[in-house]
Amino acid sequence: MKVFTGVMASCIGVFFAFLLQECLPALGLLHGGRFVLVPTIFCYAAMVLPFPAMLGLAFYTGLLTDLMYLHAVDGQVEIALGWHIVFYVMFGIIAQGLQGAMMHGRWWPFVLLSALATSALLFLELVMICFRREGFVFDSVGLWRIFVPGFLAAIFAPVLYLGILPFTSLFPRHDAIPREY
Amino acid sequence: MQALQGGLLSVLSPFLRTGNAVQEKIGSMGEGLKTLSQLDAENRILKEQNKELHTTNNLLREIESENNRLRVALEYRERSVFKLLPARIISRDASTWWSTVKINRGFEDGVESDQPVLTEVGLVGKTTTVAKNEAIVVLITDETCHVGAKVEGTREKGILSGLRFQESAASGLLQLNFLAKNANLKPGAKVTTAGVSNGVFPSGILLGTVKEFRVRPLDGQAIVETAVDLSVVEDVFVVVGVK
Repeated sequence: MKVFTGVMASCIGVFFAFLLQECLPALGLLHGGRFVLVPTIFCYAAMVLPFPAMLGLAFYTGLLTDLMYLHAVDGQVEIALGWHIVFYVMFGIIAQGLQGAMMHGRWWPFVLLSALATSALLFLELVMICFRREGFVFDSVGLWRIFVPGFLAAIFAPVLYLGILPFTSLFPRHDAIPREY
Repeated sequence: MQALQGGLLSVLSPFLRTGNAVQEKIGSMGEGLKTLSQLDAENRILKEQNKELHTTNNLLREIESENNRLRVALEYRERSVFKLLPARIISRDASTWWSTVKINRGFEDGVESDQPVLTEVGLVGKTTTVAKNEAIVVLITDETCHVGAKVEGTREKGILSGLRFQESAASGLLQLNFLAKNANLKPGAKVTTAGVSNGVFPSGILLGTVKEFRVRPLDGQAIVETAVDLSVVEDVFVVVGVK
């Protein structure tokens, strides 16, 4: 039952994170960097859900990301459908490896992983785009657009962690968390 | 005795009248004076009224500017040679790497993919994914939106597209590539669509003005400023055919 609740809450969380991302404008002062919230939500879920549930959530999150940001011009798709699913599966596997830290109430691996995954997602998207457009172009604006969302994720992640803390009894693995801190 | 009293009254009359008037004035001053709490309440009501009037005024100004904008758009629609479908931008690009907007018209309104989107000022972009009641428009500032373009007053033709990285994709710059090395374009020269056969964009739509011209090893490149301020544009037209 807890796994089901966890998966449902994660699916709803990911969905609303997409909606929120759509509404939040690019930060002009930070060279057009944006809030990318979905990897942080997914990261939290992947660190508390069992492996099969994480896989299902990775498929859901990846598919939604693919569909939300499918950029098709002249019949050509820049980032192929399924690419984000592969990314979230890989990300989820790494997050599962750090589940022990979450169980022991340590929050910083979650924050670090959220920030790294957010920047990695954008970097890999850019690499895919460069492959498609047959030319690697890179400048400081590109770097800002990759690292600013990662930095924002590092700020958002502890807020999310603390926000979810009162409700952790609803999610799986809660019983296994010995509160050391 | 009474005559004496009458005389005295006559002498005192001007003073008495003045005194009466002063008394009346002092009395009315007393009536005009209000307690602090009354003044405070009145002040609060006046402040609220002021806010209300400010809001109404702002709203009316906004309506006036919208009215003016729509009137210009309507005039353009009537004199245009294209069949134009008015649309409104409902959301701006939410992705990091692409410059797109969503409009409130879809295939139910007759919109198809690869249809030009413009305003009375110039080209905005073209439709890509079309849903029932909305469509995604890729802006001309996106690197993947290629437009055959020519420079007015010259024979120069090239391919115009956005830059991959720019500070503000919505109001950014464009690159016009494959020009002659000796084109030597002057800043301010107008760039319009060339109208390639079987292409998406009809000929003669304004794209922007030349900002600078660079000579590269194999060709010339002009940096072009967009005619339409894409960061503030709200109302656009989709070209759905020719009249």
